[in-house]
Amino acid sequence: MDLLSNLALGFGVASSLQNLMFCLIGVLLGTLIGVLPGIGATATIAMLLPITFQLEPVSSLIMLAGIYYGAQYGGSTTAILINMPGESSSAVTAIDGYQMARQGRAGTALAVAALGSFFAGSVATFLVAIFAPPLTAIALKFGAAEYFSLMVMGLVMSVALAHGSVLKALAMVVLGLLLGMVGTDVYTGAPRFTMGMTQFADGLNFVAVAVGVFGIAEILRNLEDEHDRQVMTKNITRLFPSRDEFRQMVGPVLRGTAVGSVLGILPGGGAILAAFASYTVEKKLSKHPEEFGKGALAGVAGPESANNAGAQTSFIPLLTLGIPANPVMALMIGAMIIQGIVPGPNVVSEQPQLFWGIIASMWIGNLMLVVLNLPLIGLWVKLLTVPYFVLFPIIMAMCSIGVYSVNSNPYDLFAVAFFGLLGYVMSKLRCEPAPLLLGFVLGPLLEENLRRAMILSRGDPTTFVTRPISAGLLVLSLAVLVLVFLPQIRKRRDEVFTESDA
Amino acid sequence: MTLSKLMAGLFAASVLTAPAFAQTYPERQITMVVPFSAGGPTDTVARLVAERMSADLGQQIVIQNVGGAGGTLGAGQVANAEADGYTVLLHHIGMATSDTLYRNLAYDTLDAFEYVGLVTEVPMVVTARADFEPADFPAFVEYVKANADSLTLANAGIGAASHLCGMLLMQALEAPLVTVPYKGTGPAMTDLLGGQVDIMCDQTTNTTQQIKAGTIKAYAVTTPERLPLFPDLPTAAESGFEAMQFGIWHGIYTPKGTAPEINQRLSQSLQKALADEGVAQAMADLGTAPSSAEDATPEALKAKLEAEIARWKPVIEAAGVYAD
Amino acid sequence: MSTKPKDGTDIAAGLLFMAIAAFFGWQGLGLDMGTSTRMGPGYFPMVLSGLLFVLGAVILFKAFGRADDEPFGRIAWRGIGFILPAPIFFGLTVRGLGFVPALFVTTLIATQASVRMRPLPALVLAVAVTILSTLIFSYGLGLPFRRFGPWLPL
Repeated sequence: MDLLSNLALGFGVASSLQNLMFCLIGVLLGTLIGVLPGIGATATIAMLLPITFQLEPVSSLIMLAGIYYGAQYGGSTTAILINMPGESSSAVTAIDGYQMARQGRAGTALAVAALGSFFAGSVATFLVAIFAPPLTAIALKFGAAEYFSLMVMGLVMSVALAHGSVLKALAMVVLGLLLGMVGTDVYTGAPRFTMGMTQFADGLNFVAVAVGVFGIAEILRNLEDEHDRQVMTKNITRLFPSRDEFRQMVGPVLRGTAVGSVLGILPGGGAILAAFASYTVEKKLSKHPEEFGKGALAGVAGPESANNAGAQTSFIPLLTLGIPANPVMALMIGAMIIQGIVPGPNVVSEQPQLFWGIIASMWIGNLMLVVLNLPLIGLWVKLLTVPYFVLFPIIMAMCSIGVYSVNSNPYDLFAVAFFGLLGYVMSKLRCEPAPLLLGFVLGPLLEENLRRAMILSRGDPTTFVTRPISAGLLVLSLAVLVLVFLPQIRKRRDEVFTESDA
Repeated sequence: MTLSKLMAGLFAASVLTAPAFAQTYPERQITMVVPFSAGGPTDTVARLVAERMSADLGQQIVIQNVGGAGGTLGAGQVANAEADGYTVLLHHIGMATSDTLYRNLAYDTLDAFEYVGLVTEVPMVVTARADFEPADFPAFVEYVKANADSLTLANAGIGAASHLCGMLLMQALEAPLVTVPYKGTGPAMTDLLGGQVDIMCDQTTNTTQQIKAGTIKAYAVTTPERLPLFPDLPTAAESGFEAMQFGIWHGIYTPKGTAPEINQRLSQSLQKALADEGVAQAMADLGTAPSSAEDATPEALKAKLEAEIARWKPVIEAAGVYAD
Repeated sequence: MSTKPKDGTDIAAGLLFMAIAAFFGWQGLGLDMGTSTRMGPGYFPMVLSGLLFVLGAVILFKAFGRADDEPFGRIAWRGIGFILPAPIFFGLTVRGLGFVPALFVTTLIATQASVRMRPLPALVLAVAVTILSTLIFSYGLGLPFRRFGPWLPL
């Protein structure tokens, strides 16, 4: 079989002692840097990129892939332990993962994340190997109208992220969308909501917003009454999931893998939606939707699997088209070019060892990640036993470095402080940050594709329903809306009635 | 105790980064500001030459990506940096166009910098979706003129190479196409591949692989002569469009007041880097070539910048687009 | 004072959303709305501002006639006073003072947010964080930060 011989070639390349070592170093470094608060995958890769330049092309890319997986897992770790997601996808993990950590189940959450990611990564790697070319053809069918409808679906799903008032969650999504508008308008070059500061011409930095509304707001909450309350439970019951918890995670992991693999293929925004979509699915299917937002295992297992599967399949457009699906992939392209490889449709045929070597190393990287991280979980969890008043100044220092390192823009740090305050005020008003973050990420994509679709259709709005994929997505959104919204409204109404009765 | 473990891991890795030696001028590490994000085409050019220049200077050149506002934030930072030769800027044609595109620029382009030299000039290719009807460039011109109001022209945002080339193309052909801006080359190229838009004119860096794979159609190049990479592609000038000659040139600058000796030293080092076979090969793969030793000089860059500001001012003003 | 139940938190939330919506709407007034074919930069933000205003108003409206089920709680004034200035200070000084002193002071400011932190441990912590970070980021990873900036007489 072609595939088998190709994979054999790949594993032959990737499992040379030297390449295994670089993969390991990559995973290790990626994890160690990515686990620092406020430093997500993009910042980690940007920092570590120069280290790989001295290596041969294959080794260098294998190490980079390792760094990527490590950084991504490191980002999930901070999301779970201290509520500080470094990437949009781990913002979802933070919702339930952090609650689990507060209940003393940080070890379980980390183990579930690692195992789920490994499974999803393995499956997605094989999808990449088998289906890369045909999947690319599907991705190319997505025009502006399709993306717009996809984003609409994402926004509909965002309601499920809320575990309190649906109205407030909606308001937070819209606020997020508005914040996403800050910066130069892509179409006309007009500056919007920048208050005349060119430093915000490219919009607000995602890491600054995420660190502010999640991390800093959480630190402030913890400082409210530090006299009489422990922030974290110190009696950590168990590091690894019990048999029962294993059983609970199987379904979410399988579904998360499927959702993530499909969405990850779409360049520009697909992978972002994966974790959010998986969370919605799990909350909908769960027998105990009320547990979501309060430490539901499925709320970690599903999104983490989806996130990793999406990360894996987002290599498909990169490897087959030479087009980056996200900033991390753009960095990968830069690394390839410096190594003298120009990514494009011909890489598979012209440099088979490279192509299949990278695919094989993806799987090896995932394996190393799980082997490396399961023992490290004990170490990470111990971090929580550090007294909080020692921990948070360290977090603040790391955040400052991490946010500044991405663009060397001091205004990003001012944004951290501003969004920390906003996040704190919002949390005092019982408004949740996750929908805001989703709106912030999707806002520019939504607007851009809406406007582009209208230009391409010469102002005919029926383009959204006459194009079959777009129409299908809109119908699906409507179905999700009905499924998600109706019970919530009903529940809410019940709550109102019981409250006013009391 | 946890931190010490972390440190041990990092120290093991730091052995991989290169050491540095002392000399007279570059006595310490030099920061090269790239006013775009890491991994982009400009960053790639910078990293290619910075590596070879480091070897010659005996000091590490580290790249600092200061992205934002079409490169004007990074340029502004270098304009305000100390003129000691330890902060340099690598910028592309945007240095000239932003002078007109941004009406309230924080620095005076012609008065805030000293010059080191030109690095490379990347040619542009007029491309279209793979199933675009016309067979060659003259047919393309006919077809576009006849169907101007129904054809779409993609660009990667205000001030991007594809935007500048698109403006020139529309002016040369006198065909006001429906322009569709994108956020960056990646999504624009994806839509061209998928046939969602019709035409795009972009750098060889972004288009070569796709053209070779036959996933997009190429019609003409914007160089004075045909490219060795695509001997069959005519130049736009061959069909009488002399105005459509331009490339995305990159130059290295230092802050105003940097000593001439330092600029000379950097220029020499740049010339050596550009003569390096590895650099030439890497650039050739991208469809471009290193600037000649005569062009990699302060004088050549200064002349180029002045000429280009004068050239783009009317084009941008005629199009009436501003990015501020 | 009225004895009718009302949810103070939601009143504040509704008002805040409405205020933010008004702010964005006001800021967006100068932006071109465009046509439906070629929407201007002001089109989408204006729609969103309107939507947020309505949502805020509904939240406000529904807050009356319902008791506040969760008290507002204490406010971390000390935290706000010291945590938020920390990154701002870092941003203002990292170029001028350089990485090492900027980070040292930043950490020191942040330590003061907790009432449990005494001066000596705070100093020790700030020194440790500064040394380790400098080793990791500046020497280890070679990030292009100046360790000591031009504001210092060195």
